[in-house]
Amino acid sequence: MRKLPRRDRLKIYGDLLSILYSETRKEKVILTRVQLKANVPFDRLKAYIIELKELGLIQDETSPKLTEKGKVYLREYETVLDFMKRMGLTYQ
Amino acid sequence: MHVLTLILAEAVSAILCFALVRFMMKPYEVLGESRYIGLPLGFGFLGTSYIFMGLALYFESFPFIEEIKWLQLFTQAYAFAFLATTYYFSKKPYDRTRLWWNIAYAGLAFATVISYLIAFEPPMFELPSYKTVDEYFRLFNTICLTYITVHTLRSHTSQPDPKTIWIPLSYLLLGFSQYSLLIWSLDSSFSAFVGAHLLRLTSLLVFLFVAYQAFYGTRAAPLAEGILDEEASSQR
Repeated sequence: MRKLPRRDRLKIYGDLLSILYSETRKEKVILTRVQLKANVPFDRLKAYIIELKELGLIQDETSPKLTEKGKVYLREYETVLDFMKRMGLTYQ
Repeated sequence: MHVLTLILAEAVSAILCFALVRFMMKPYEVLGESRYIGLPLGFGFLGTSYIFMGLALYFESFPFIEEIKWLQLFTQAYAFAFLATTYYFSKKPYDRTRLWWNIAYAGLAFATVISYLIAFEPPMFELPSYKTVDEYFRLFNTICLTYITVHTLRSHTSQPDPKTIWIPLSYLLLGFSQYSLLIWSLDSSFSAFVGAHLLRLTSLLVFLFVAYQAFYGTRAAPLAEGILDEEASSQR
């Protein structure tokens, strides 16, 4: 696994939603692939997915797809990251 | 230059700054990290400093005019200090510097309150002349803006993108504006004075353009491929 700086919960949520969104455009969401991309242990990934479901950001836990609320949050998250990039701010 | 034109320039600058505060608030709102609070605070203080300057120009015979001029100096310096602090901590790891950025912001907030008290309730010793202090403050502002310009420029060169060149440019213009005011303060050059105001307005407009582009320029577009996904594929 590649070494990444420690992330806070919101960044992990944002990253996970971003990965899940790109994965849902493929046939089926494979959690192992999500885990590798998100760089989190599998047990923690499961816990985060349950939390995302409780927040109403994804539909179900086995094959997680983004809800409308999740898409709105992800759009806002990516817009803010893009704005920060334009502002020359690093988010880590 | 006509006083009314100057007041108008201060008013327009203040409006632009407060419009920017709305955008600068977003990283703090969405990511919930207090280290980004320096952005809206910085532009908020900057806008307030322009209001103080406008008031000082409008009410020339107002009894508290000297105090307002001092407030303008302090407020503007804190604006740039907040911005520089935000940029400094943005490149540090989140978990290791959390305490330090909280201490830095608390220190700046404390210094703001103390300096405002000093402006209205001068201490026993006599304060130096406004003109002398003004020059030192301009120098401080220029240093802060130089640091931010270098920071944003390095960020741009590490991942070159046409979208990220505008912000170093606008900080550079803001820095030149402060430098021009310093020159004007030293040799009363009219062109430096006019240039400073023009540079500042141009810089604030560029900031607004960038913020507008980021938040509304891509709104109509469908949800993009995740940013993280792009980063991951570029690393593979």
